[in-house]
Amino acid sequence: MTISGLGPHGERASAPERVLLLPEDMQRARDGNFRVAIVLHTLASDWAKQQLAGIVGTLGNCGVAVIDVVDCGFAPEAQIEALERLIREAPDAIISLPVANAKVAAAHAQVSAAGIRLVLLENVPTGLLPGKDYVSLVSADNFGLGKIAAEGLSPHLAKNAEVGVLGYDADFFATNEREIAFVKWMQINRPDLKLRIRRFPSLPDAGSTGRALLSAFPEVAGLFIVWDTPAMAAAQVMQSMSKAMPMATVDLGRDAAIGLAAGGPLVAVAAQQPFRQGEAAASTTVTALLNRLPPAWVALPGISVTPANVVECFQMVWRMPAPREVLLRLNLIH
Amino acid sequence: MKDVPSTATVGTGLPPRRKGRPRVSETAAPSLVEILNLVRTGKATTRQEIERRSELGRAVVADRLGTLSELGLIDESELGAATGGRAPRLVRFMSDRGRILVATLDQTALGVGIANLSGDLLMEHHEAADLTQPVSDLCERLMTLFRWILDRQSGGPDLWGMSISVPGAVPDGGETHFQTTTPTVLPGWESFPLVETLADTFDAPVWIRSSVETMTMGELHAGAGINHRTMLLVKVGKRIGAGLISDGELYRGAQGAAGLIGSVPVTVGQRSGTLETMAGSDHIEREGRAAAERGASEILGDQMRRGNEITAIDVANAAQMGDAAAIEILSQSGRLIGQVIATLANMLNPELIVLSGSIAQTNDILLASAREAIYGASHPLVSRDLQIVRSQMGNSSGLVGAAMVATEGMFAPPMLRDWIMSGKPQAQPLFQQLKARTAQQLKAGAARQQGRAPSPPKS
Repeated sequence: MTISGLGPHGERASAPERVLLLPEDMQRARDGNFRVAIVLHTLASDWAKQQLAGIVGTLGNCGVAVIDVVDCGFAPEAQIEALERLIREAPDAIISLPVANAKVAAAHAQVSAAGIRLVLLENVPTGLLPGKDYVSLVSADNFGLGKIAAEGLSPHLAKNAEVGVLGYDADFFATNEREIAFVKWMQINRPDLKLRIRRFPSLPDAGSTGRALLSAFPEVAGLFIVWDTPAMAAAQVMQSMSKAMPMATVDLGRDAAIGLAAGGPLVAVAAQQPFRQGEAAASTTVTALLNRLPPAWVALPGISVTPANVVECFQMVWRMPAPREVLLRLNLIH
Repeated sequence: MKDVPSTATVGTGLPPRRKGRPRVSETAAPSLVEILNLVRTGKATTRQEIERRSELGRAVVADRLGTLSELGLIDESELGAATGGRAPRLVRFMSDRGRILVATLDQTALGVGIANLSGDLLMEHHEAADLTQPVSDLCERLMTLFRWILDRQSGGPDLWGMSISVPGAVPDGGETHFQTTTPTVLPGWESFPLVETLADTFDAPVWIRSSVETMTMGELHAGAGINHRTMLLVKVGKRIGAGLISDGELYRGAQGAAGLIGSVPVTVGQRSGTLETMAGSDHIEREGRAAAERGASEILGDQMRRGNEITAIDVANAAQMGDAAAIEILSQSGRLIGQVIATLANMLNPELIVLSGSIAQTNDILLASAREAIYGASHPLVSRDLQIVRSQMGNSSGLVGAAMVATEGMFAPPMLRDWIMSGKPQAQPLFQQLKARTAQQLKAGAARQQGRAPSPPKS
C-alpha cells in the first residue's frame, strides 16, 4: 500500500490493518452492547451508500447497534442540529463526516466533550485534534487521488497545452488535497503546461463555473474536476459549447464509469474504495470502544481507473457488476 | 538601531520635531503599546481594568482606545456582564485585522497554514518533502503553497507576517524582532536569500525559529499546555530537543540554543553515546531493522520480506500492535529519554511535561517507559503534581507556535512602538530598510543577468 499524502495535522498514514479486529475483539465488542450513530453529508450518492454499507455491516459483525443514520443534505445547520440531538441520545460513539469546517467545529468538539467517541470521515474541522476532540480520521488518500488523476490525464495533453482545474471553493480537506496534488504533479512532471484554476462554491454552480473557465480560457485543452458529480456537469457544459477535450476526475460513479467506457471525454478516474473505507471506519470505532488507541489517521489508497480496467475496478469499488452500458460499450455483451 | 527613524514619523510623513512640545503621536505610542498588549493578551477586557492595570487616567485611556479603534486594532461594540449598575463595554483585540502565513520545515515533511493574530489556524496542509533538496526548490514549493493559501483566502485581511519553523537552533543575538537576513540554519542556506525572497515576494516580515521552540509555543497556546505557566516539551525524532516555558514565556537561552538535550551523553550497558544516537528515531529504525533480520520481530520481519523499508514509525506501530521486540526497542528509548528528562525536571520543577514528535505521538509505550523513569528519579515534591502526557497536536503544534512567534514578535513593545501609528507592521523602519536593500540587490542581479552591469573602463 502506498499513501502519498499526509494527514490533516501532518500525520503519517496508517493502513486499515492497524485496526484489524480479531475474533476475540469482536466477542468483547458484543459483550459491550455498544450503540453507535452515523451522520453523513448525504445518503443519496452511491459513495455514501457504499460507505454506509461497509460501516453498518462491520458493526453488525461486532454486535454493535446502529441507532441512527442522519442525512445532513450537505447543510452545516442540519449537521449541528443532528449532533446536538444525538449527544442527548448518549450513544457510545458517533461516526460523522463534517460537511464544513469552522461552522461545524464546535458541534463536533461537543461530542467528545460529552464523553462520546467521535470517528471522522474524510474531513477534520480546523482546530480539532485527534485523541482530544476525535478518535481518528478515516479517509481515502486524497493527495494520492489527485496524483493518480494527473498521471492519467497527462498523456492526453499536447506539449504546452492549457489545462483547466475545477476545484471546490470550500475549505474541505479531501478536495483541497486533491487539487494541491494534481497541480503539484503537473508542475513537477509537466512544467510545459499552463494551469487555469477556477473553483465552484457549491455543487449546483459547478456547470456555470466550468462554463466561465472555458469561456475565459478558450485554449484550455484538458480538464481536472475534483469529483465525479461536478465532472459530469462540466462534461455537459463542454458538449453545449461544442468543445471536446480529455477530462480526469475522482470517484468512479455510475456515469463516470459509462463515460470512461465510452472512450471520452473522460479518460482517467482516480477511484476511492468507499466500502473498504466504511469497514475501516467501523473497525476504528470498535477499536476505540475497546479502549485501545487507534491511529490518528487511517488511509486507504486510491485506484487508477482507465477504460481498460473499468469493469473490474467498478466491481471492486461497488461490489456489484458494472452497468450494462459499460459492458455494451466494451463489447463484453452484445 | 541609531539610524532608525523615530516611531512618530512612521506613517505621518512628518519629520521629527527638534524643539517644543512633542506631537500627540510622539507621546502616545508607549501608552498605545501598553494598552493594546493588555487587551491582546486578555489581561484587561474593560476600560476600568485597563485604567487599573496601566495606571493611566480615564481621559488618556479613552483617547488611546479611540486611536486603537480607528486603527482597527480593537473593538468595543460588545457589552460585558454587569456587576451592579451599567454593563461595561468589552474591549476586544481584533485578531482578524491581519493574517500570518506559517510553515514547518521538517526532515521529511513540509507544512503550511494561515493564522489570525491570536494564533488560531484557519487552514493547514502538510505534504511529504525532502529537506536535502536545494533550498531554492524548497523555497519555490513553499511560495507556491503560500500563494495557494492566499488565493483560497482571498478577500481576507492583509498579510502581516510569515513565520517558519526549522529543524535546528536559530541563532539569536537579540538585535531585532524579525529576520533581517537569512540565518544559516541548514546547509545551503548561506547562499540563498530565503528571508529576503519571502519578504520581497509577499511584502511582510519573516520570523524563523527552531521546531522545538515553535512546538512548545503551539502546545502552550492550543494543546496540552493551555492554562499552564511552567512546561517542558521534549521532541523525539531524529533529533531530540527540549523547549521550556517558564512563567508563561518561552525561554530561549543566551544564543537561542536552549534545550539541545540530544547532545547529553548516556550509557546503556557497555555502550555509550549521545541521547540522540542512543534513543532517537535513527536508533529505533536501526534496531527495528536488526530485529527483523535476526527474526526477533514477526511484524517487522514480515514487512521486510515484502520488500518494504522499515522506518522508526513502523517500529512504533509494531510495538503498538504488541510486537515484543519492537516494544523492547521503544521501552529502551523511553527509559533513556526519561532519565535525561528527570534531571531537567528536578532542576526546573515543571507542572507539565509533553512528549512530542511522531514517535511519541503514535505510541503509548515510549510514553509509559519515559514516565516510569521520570517519576522514579524525581524528588517527591517535583513528581507530586507533575503531569506527563504526549502531544495530540501532530505537526499542527509547529504551525500554531510559528504563528505565536510572529504575533509575539510584532506586538513586542520595542517593535510595536515603531509601527503602531501606521497600523501595519510593514511600516517598521528596519523592514522598510530590508525591502529597499533587497530591491537594490535584485535590481543589480537582474542587471548583471542582462549584461548591463557597468564594466570597468577599457585601458
